[in-house]
Amino acid sequence: MELAVQFIVSFLSTIGFGIITNVPRRVLFLAGVTGACGWTVYLLTAQVTSNIILQNFLGALTIGLLANIVAVRIKAPVNMLYVPGLVSLVPGIVIYTSLKEFTLGNYINAGRNLIRTLVIAFAIDIGFAIAESIFRRVRYRIMHRS
Amino acid sequence: MAEKRLENIMDVCGLIAKILLESGAETTRVESTIAFIGKAAGVELNCHATMTAIFISTESGATTHLVKPNVSAFNLQKVDEINSLSRQFSAHEIDFDELERSVQAIDHQVIDFTWLQKIIGAGLVSVTPMLLFKASWSDLALAFLVGIVGYLASQWGSKHSKSPYLSVIVGSLVIGLLANLLQYVGIADSAANIIIGSLMPLVPGVPLTNSLREIIDRDILSGLVRGIDAIMIAGSIGIGTIVGSFMAHILTGGI
Repeated sequence: MELAVQFIVSFLSTIGFGIITNVPRRVLFLAGVTGACGWTVYLLTAQVTSNIILQNFLGALTIGLLANIVAVRIKAPVNMLYVPGLVSLVPGIVIYTSLKEFTLGNYINAGRNLIRTLVIAFAIDIGFAIAESIFRRVRYRIMHRS
Repeated sequence: MAEKRLENIMDVCGLIAKILLESGAETTRVESTIAFIGKAAGVELNCHATMTAIFISTESGATTHLVKPNVSAFNLQKVDEINSLSRQFSAHEIDFDELERSVQAIDHQVIDFTWLQKIIGAGLVSVTPMLLFKASWSDLALAFLVGIVGYLASQWGSKHSKSPYLSVIVGSLVIGLLANLLQYVGIADSAANIIIGSLMPLVPGVPLTNSLREIIDRDILSGLVRGIDAIMIAGSIGIGTIVGSFMAHILTGGI
């Protein structure tokens, strides 16, 4: 039940970001589903482990695979899908917290959050890079099934 | 005659590269698109794109074209339209004149969502799933509204100022002020949760992730430019929120 609510809210959140970034209308719904799936995987991983690297890595891997498959199917650039899709995972609030603490003079908290930001962003990017290289191997089969 | 045509191709390619980069495409996509279009037009083109300058030059001749992009907000519709145009041109479905005309049309005008849709979009982003089951439901509803106001304030700021960081300062200042006032009046349970939610449309999470991605791809120069830009935006948001909270404290009589 909780997971279903999370799925719906992250779907709406992704669509909202898609509207702000002016994503083409035909991509909007699929981008929402992609983002929501990534967030659900992130939550499911969170129940098994509290390691933020693993959670973000698997979330981004899911989004990367789905985004690449959808992008080939509807013949759109990949970043149409992952720019809105990543909005729930991305460490935007963490870097804001870091720089807020920096302004307030709490340098230890600022540094901790800055490193956390970099770790999360690296985990997401590596998840993406791996998704892309997996996809390149299966691309031929997906393109010729349709 | 041949010279004239080459210059024309370079001009159109320059415009394409500029639109792509300004609307949020990665530098590798810009470079490969230009190479594709050059090949389809019968010229070997070399392109080097960074966040501050795009160079296009012919493989053999001495002609070089320099474009200075002015990177602003994401506009993925433009990226998609340019992408499908370049596909059609490479497949020889449209000729060069048609390409030139369409690119100029895209540069001027592109389909956009209406203001109402954008406002609702900003509100939806503010109800971030991160806060579900952590904040109260009334706080989430307030984050929806405060997020809309903050987004509108930042859009207003970007219309009235050329400084890129001022608009996010305005937006986050309004958010910090409103959230703390709502908490003071007693409508909101936690100002911190509302601030976190409402900042979601402004916060540079996606640019930051993209910048690290470019650095991993060894596009270090443009990755660094994007990264520093993201950090500057986050810093401006931090300053804006703190000043807003401080103003709220003064308005409500405390220090």
